[in-house]
Amino acid sequence: MKNSTVKEIIIPAISLFLICLVATALLGFTNQITAPKIEQLAIETENNAKKEVLSDAADFSDKMTATLDETEYSYYEGLDGDKNVIGYVFTTSAKGYGGDIKVMVGVDKSGSVTGVSILEISETAGLGMNAKNESFLKQFLSKSGEISVIKNGTPADNEISALTGATITSKAMAKAVNTALALYEQVGGESNG
Amino acid sequence: MKVFFAILLTAILTNNYILSKFLGICPFLGVSKKLNTAVGMSAAVIFVMLLASAATYPLNTFLENHGLGYLQTIVFILVIAALVQLVEIVLRKYIPSLYNSLGIYLPLITTNCAVLGVTILNIDNGYTFAQAMTNSFGAGLGFMVAMVMFAGVRSKLESCDIPKFLEGLPITLVAASLTSLSFLGFAGMVENMFGV
Amino acid sequence: MAEKKTLRQEFTKGIIKENPVLRLVLGTCPTLATTTSMESAIGMGISAAIVLICSNIVISALRKVIPQKVRIPCYIVVIAAFVTIVQMLVKAFVPTLDEQLGVYLPLIVVNCIILGRAEAFAGKNSIIASAVDGVGMGIGFTVALIVMSAIREFFGAGSLLGHSLLPESIPPMTIFILAPGGFFVFGLVMACANKLAEMGGGKKAKLGGCEACPMADSCTRLQNGEACETPAVEETATDVVNEVKEAAE
Repeated sequence: MKNSTVKEIIIPAISLFLICLVATALLGFTNQITAPKIEQLAIETENNAKKEVLSDAADFSDKMTATLDETEYSYYEGLDGDKNVIGYVFTTSAKGYGGDIKVMVGVDKSGSVTGVSILEISETAGLGMNAKNESFLKQFLSKSGEISVIKNGTPADNEISALTGATITSKAMAKAVNTALALYEQVGGESNG
Repeated sequence: MKVFFAILLTAILTNNYILSKFLGICPFLGVSKKLNTAVGMSAAVIFVMLLASAATYPLNTFLENHGLGYLQTIVFILVIAALVQLVEIVLRKYIPSLYNSLGIYLPLITTNCAVLGVTILNIDNGYTFAQAMTNSFGAGLGFMVAMVMFAGVRSKLESCDIPKFLEGLPITLVAASLTSLSFLGFAGMVENMFGV
Repeated sequence: MAEKKTLRQEFTKGIIKENPVLRLVLGTCPTLATTTSMESAIGMGISAAIVLICSNIVISALRKVIPQKVRIPCYIVVIAAFVTIVQMLVKAFVPTLDEQLGVYLPLIVVNCIILGRAEAFAGKNSIIASAVDGVGMGIGFTVALIVMSAIREFFGAGSLLGHSLLPESIPPMTIFILAPGGFFVFGLVMACANKLAEMGGGKKAKLGGCEACPMADSCTRLQNGEACETPAVEETATDVVNEVKEAAE
C-alpha cells in the first residue's frame, strides 16, 4: 500500500514539481536578460515619439501629470534651447474597436496640434490599422479646439474624414486628440498665467 | 452599468471570440455537427471561462505585485488545467447528472485557446474584476451563439449538393466565412447604442 | 509510429504528407488569426516552430523521466516555458512583431500542433528524430501560413510583405483581411491541398470528431488514420480524464 502511494502519487508529484521549478528558473533567467532591454526599448520608443510629435522642441521636461475628468494623464513640456516652454506632449488613450488606442499628441503654445503618434493600437488589420498611415495622421496637424469626424465630404476646419470602414477607430483617434487638447487648455492656461 | 452592457454585447456580437478573434476554432469546427453537442460544449466553456477568469485575475495581481509578470502564461495555463480537473472531480462526485451532460467536454477545454485567450485579454484590456467577469461571460455566450448558429448552418449543409472539390472541411470553412460575414454587420452597433 | 522511418522521411512528412495545418487540421486558430499579413504570418510560423523544436527536444530527452501519469501537465509546463521565453525575446528584439501578434503569441501554448507532436512523437522517439520531426512540422506550419497570408495580403491589401503591388486605381478587397476572408481562404487552400493529395493518392483532410479534440491522444488516433466518430472522442476524453485524475493528488 505504502509502496504504491509512493509510486502513484509522490514520484509524479515530485517530478512535476521539479519540472516546474526548472522551467521557472529558466524563465527568471531569461527575464533578467530581456527585462532591461524591453524597458529600454519602451523608453526609446517614447523618446522618439516625443521628438516626432513636437519636433521644434530641443529638450523635454520630466514627466508631469494632469487630471481631467478624474483621470490622470502624463505629459511633458517641450523646451527650446533657452528652457522656455514651447509646447506640450500629452499621452492619452481612447477605446477603439479592438481595445485601447494609446497616442502621443504634441500641442504647441497656441493650442494647435503639432503631431500625433500612435503608441499602442490593436485594431482590425486592413481597416482600423490604417490609422497608422501618414495620410490619416496628418489630418490632425494644426487643428485646435474640438475635432470631430465626418464620413463623407470635404472636412471643414476642425473636422477630419474617417478611415474607410473604420469609423470607430477614427472617432477614437479624434477623442484621444481632443483629450490632449482639453488637457492643453488646463495646463497651458496655467503656465501662461 | 452602461460599461457592463457594452462589454457584454461587444464580446457576444462585435468581437465574437470565434468569428472575429478566431479563438476556439477547433471545437467550433469539430463539435458543431449536432445541436445538442454544440450546446453542451458551449455551456461547459461558459462555466470554465467564468471560473478561470475568477481564478486568474487575482493571481495576476499577485504576480504583478511581486514582479513576476513574466510567469503569466505558464501560471494561467496550469491554473486552467488544474481547475478543469478539479471541476470534473467535483462534478462527478456530487452532481453526476451535470457531469453526464458536461463532463465529456471538460477535458477538451483545457487546451481551448478561447479560455486562455479570455483570461489574458481580461488583463491586457485593463478590466476591473467585475468587468473581467462580464467579459468572460460575454465571451462564453458569444461562443455559444456562434456554435448554435453554425450547427444550424451545418445541418442545412448536409442536404446540399456540394461541388466535389469542396466537400468536407473546405465547404464547412466557407460556410463559417459566411456566418462570420453576418457578424460583421454588428460592427459599430454597440458604440452607437451606448456611446462608449 | 513505431515502424522505422528514415530521418529524411520524418523531415518531409511534416511539410507535405502530414502538413499540420492543411492535412491534420491542427492549429487552426493562429492560422486564421495571424495570416492577415505575410509579415505576421512568418513571425508566427517561426515563433511556433522554435517552440515546437525546443519542446520536442526537451520532451524527448525527458521521456524516460516523466511519469506516464503526469505527462500532459509536464508537457504543458515545458511548452509554456518555451513560449514565455520566445515571448520575452520577441518583446525585447522584435517589438513590432509583438505588436502584430498580440495575444496570439502567448496562445502558442495551446496550439494543438505542439502538444500533439509532444504526445504523438516526442514522447516516444529519440531526441534526434524528435528534433527533425519538430523542424519538419515547424516548416510545414510556416509554409501553410505563408501561403494563406500571401493570398490574403495580395487580395486584401494589394501588397506582399508590405510592398504595394497593385496600382492605386485598383482598390484592394479588404474583406480578405477581415475574419470572413480568413475562413474563406482557408477553405479554398484546403480544397486545393485535398485535390493535390487526391492526385497523389492520399486521403482527404477529413473533419471527424478528432480534429476537434485538442487532447493529444486523439491526435495519435488521427495520425494512425483510425476512423473516429464522436464516440471515439468521448472514449479518449474519459481515458485522459482517468489518467490525469489519478495523477492529480
